[in-house]
Amino acid sequence: MNTKYIFSVFQLSLLFVFSSCCDKNSCQNEKKSSKLTQQSIIDAASSDTSAVRQSLVRINSTIQIWSASQPWDKSAPKKRRALGALLEGNRVLTTAEMAADATYIELENADNTRIIPAKVVAIDYEANLALLEPDNGDTDSFFKDLKPLRLGSSAKIGDRVDVWQLEDNGMPIVTDAVIQSVDIVSSFANGHFFLTYEAKGSMQSASNSFTVPVIRNGKLLGLLSSYDSKDQIIDIIAPEIIQAFIADTSDGDYVGFPSLGIGISSTVDPNFRDWLKLSDDLGGLYVTKIRKDSAAQKAGLEKGDVIININDKAIGRRGYYTDQQYGRLYWSHLIRGSLKQGDTLELTILRGGEQKQIMATLTRPEEPLVARDTYDQAPVYLIKGGLIFQELTATYLKAFGKDWQAKAPLNLLDIMMTPEDYEKDRNKIVFLSAVIPTPATTGYERLRNFIINKVNGQTIADISTLIDAFKKPGTDGLHTIEFAEGPPRTIYLDASIADTVDTELLKRGIPALSRE
Amino acid sequence: MINTLIRSLPLNMAFFLLFSLQNAGAQQSVSNPLAPLDSSSIASLPQETYRSVVRIEVATQVPNYSEPWKAGRFSGGIGTGFLIGPNLFLTNAHVVSNARRLLITMHGAARKHPAKILHIAHDCDLALLEVDDFTPFTGLHHFPIGGIPKLESQVRVIGYPVGGNRISVTRGVVSRIDFNTYSHSRSDQHLVVQIDAAINPGNSGGPVLQDGKVVGVAFQGLRSADNTGYMIPTPVVRRFLTDIKDGRYDKYVDLGISDFPMFNPAMQKKFGLTPTSPGVLVAAVTPDGPCDGVLQKDDILTAINSNEVDAAGNILIDGEKVNMNEIVERKFSGDQVTLSIIRDGEAMNMTCTLKPFPPSQMYAVQYDVKPRYTTFAGLVLQPLDRNLYSAQNLTNTRVRRLFTHYLDEAIFKKRKDIVILTRVLSDPINTHLNGHVGTAIESINGVDVSSLQHAHELLHPEQLPEFFVIRCEGVERPIIIPGDQAEAASKRIENSYGITSAANLDQ
Repeated sequence: MNTKYIFSVFQLSLLFVFSSCCDKNSCQNEKKSSKLTQQSIIDAASSDTSAVRQSLVRINSTIQIWSASQPWDKSAPKKRRALGALLEGNRVLTTAEMAADATYIELENADNTRIIPAKVVAIDYEANLALLEPDNGDTDSFFKDLKPLRLGSSAKIGDRVDVWQLEDNGMPIVTDAVIQSVDIVSSFANGHFFLTYEAKGSMQSASNSFTVPVIRNGKLLGLLSSYDSKDQIIDIIAPEIIQAFIADTSDGDYVGFPSLGIGISSTVDPNFRDWLKLSDDLGGLYVTKIRKDSAAQKAGLEKGDVIININDKAIGRRGYYTDQQYGRLYWSHLIRGSLKQGDTLELTILRGGEQKQIMATLTRPEEPLVARDTYDQAPVYLIKGGLIFQELTATYLKAFGKDWQAKAPLNLLDIMMTPEDYEKDRNKIVFLSAVIPTPATTGYERLRNFIINKVNGQTIADISTLIDAFKKPGTDGLHTIEFAEGPPRTIYLDASIADTVDTELLKRGIPALSRE
Repeated sequence: MINTLIRSLPLNMAFFLLFSLQNAGAQQSVSNPLAPLDSSSIASLPQETYRSVVRIEVATQVPNYSEPWKAGRFSGGIGTGFLIGPNLFLTNAHVVSNARRLLITMHGAARKHPAKILHIAHDCDLALLEVDDFTPFTGLHHFPIGGIPKLESQVRVIGYPVGGNRISVTRGVVSRIDFNTYSHSRSDQHLVVQIDAAINPGNSGGPVLQDGKVVGVAFQGLRSADNTGYMIPTPVVRRFLTDIKDGRYDKYVDLGISDFPMFNPAMQKKFGLTPTSPGVLVAAVTPDGPCDGVLQKDDILTAINSNEVDAAGNILIDGEKVNMNEIVERKFSGDQVTLSIIRDGEAMNMTCTLKPFPPSQMYAVQYDVKPRYTTFAGLVLQPLDRNLYSAQNLTNTRVRRLFTHYLDEAIFKKRKDIVILTRVLSDPINTHLNGHVGTAIESINGVDVSSLQHAHELLHPEQLPEFFVIRCEGVERPIIIPGDQAEAASKRIENSYGITSAANLDQ
């Protein structure tokens, strides 16, 4: 691929990136545990101490993420420890971080005398919550002297809360903290914001520190989702969110928090407001994006609309409304706070200078073209003669490291940014992620990150259609693979050599040639 | 300066680096700067000929692409040049790029002779200089231009590298002859000869000699490796000297195709070839390029001007396997080449008339030009090119895509310039803009922007609109500037930010 112009050289740079990328994104959460410094030990003999201690369960989980470059492999296991809260029905509440991509989870009592394997009842990566229960063990004896915690009601700014930790010897450390502010925060899966209390308190590092319960008046207020040791700010997942999560799990079929499916921009700019004909007494959020098949699209919301009210709450220029309990809160809490899928929402919008009412029925968002939160999902792939095909996910792109938005392949990034340009005829983006040098792939070793349009004349909508298409090589015994871009636009693969190679690859330890 | 160059390579092109023109500040004591040369394998030069290798002192003014209205940075450095004819000093283009003053000093003399550029070729990093008064140089040796040195043969490099003020001579052997990137323009690849002689900053533009003849011009190094210096071989030098014979430099021409090696057995079978068949796959033809309408995707290119092209796209010239582009490399605009191809199983000959392809300048670093820009109500608009890409941290995916696919997706046909909003100078009129900086301007008042000039005209219409509605690619929320306030705001911003000229639309 020698061209005199510079673009021929772009692809070379990608060769170096991948080898080191896979471990980086898994490290980000580890830092949190080391941030727990400073201490403030409360008298452990106070009256409700022993009661709360009986509700604390240690959680040890082994996390393994899938390799982005070799999708049949899992990465090296990593351990995480945390302190969960025992709820009614022998269930233990913790954060999704503790259970996402977990190969093995076990529960351990405070005294380190009993251990029982656990499984996930429900997990919400967006709200960062997970509910665990014992899995095949002596449940009765494990829980015999433990007492479930009750869920508490919401707190207000200025309330004092207790953050519970356990030392290795089983002694509790209780940190007194004061709720300073309430905000909408994204704590685990990117881009999902939920009601979070921010409390001031000085915590020390203890053995169970990935997440710990926060108690108020002897009841579970929330879970610590992060601690900033510099500012001594403790982020606490709010009780409303936990209640909605627990309520959703009650019928055994977890649905998740609803969404409206829009992107927005503020209307602070006075010139912009004049152009929109927004009068000064109004706030307003400018709609910049409507997600395909979302509640907003079904309700008839359009790009360029200005949302003025949501359920009679006036939405300000930056997107805040006045909440009765908490004061100024971001509008998304109106949707992801108390409502569930199927609930309706009344929106007052300004369109072309005129106000309009719109009713939206909230839904769960459809899986996008480029899947975002692929926790616990093994990447799907196909190996053919040494060519490795995968479906594009955000997880794949993020595996390019901290500055993945600069390092990941440009064409694949573009799909993630503007999926609407690629959705025609596709459920997913299938691309050539790498090439294993084999007799079938001679000359193709440097090809990668090409989006697949067709194989053997068949349009490729996802990995299943790809697997299907490779079953029908041409009469000349060749597979024809057409890329969306080039060069080259088309490559060929000898079907019989590829089959021989595939058999050989299995012998060499690749566990399976595909995963759907 | 090395650091600046490296830092400004956003596209992982930093394999090569130019030698710094600046001499190191600290003077080391050099005990014997002119050690006698071993004459066993290289004919020793008479001392007198050193006088034809000159020291070039350059004062430069480097344009500022991040604040284009500014005068730029005044800087300078040292390079080497050598006499090849009456008042003709050959050196590197990068030695004298953006020069405001050139002074030439003869070896062993103190006098500085003012000089100027006769011709400069940024795409092959060569320049010819002349001094205002040649009299002091008359009678000096003129270096003859030789051929391509053989692998493993010895060469000698003469110049004024860092570490002292006097002439320096190093030697080494030719270790590789290859087609490679010229880092000065960053977008051009030509023949390069690698030598293992120590070449250091300041050597740039100096002669590489063998048997008393020039076999190359020292010009770049490889940062990641020791003892690898690169020189511009004489075919490139000769081409430059031929090109300028009509009084101007016309630049290189190019086929404008992408090739893909024909190594794969299935690929060979598909095109009816055997593992020993000649021919490389034409993977893409640049729209509007010289081969557009001549070659097609999926042609097999088997020979250029009867030189057989192998499966990797190489040809044999003078006993060396080199990239097939080397044939075209030695041609000029208007020349024709015969391309032997196999199309749909049928062998045929096609003729391609070579021509310059201006849109490819998108990827070449520009020198000796003033940055183009326009300003409007605190918005700074600049056309996308390599210089801007290096100066601004352009991370927007759409902008990167427009840049990368400017040629192959024929974006240049619709958009002579990709106009980028590079900066917003804060003022009450634009204070609430965010997310727009670093994106490409798509339209102004509903009209798609095709060039900087076009954008400038759309922002200065005869009839003022109620609002200027400026849409940026990938940003849904438009920039709104009230028509009746724009001019006053522009004036206010020019005053407070010291913008002496609101626009520069010409190169």
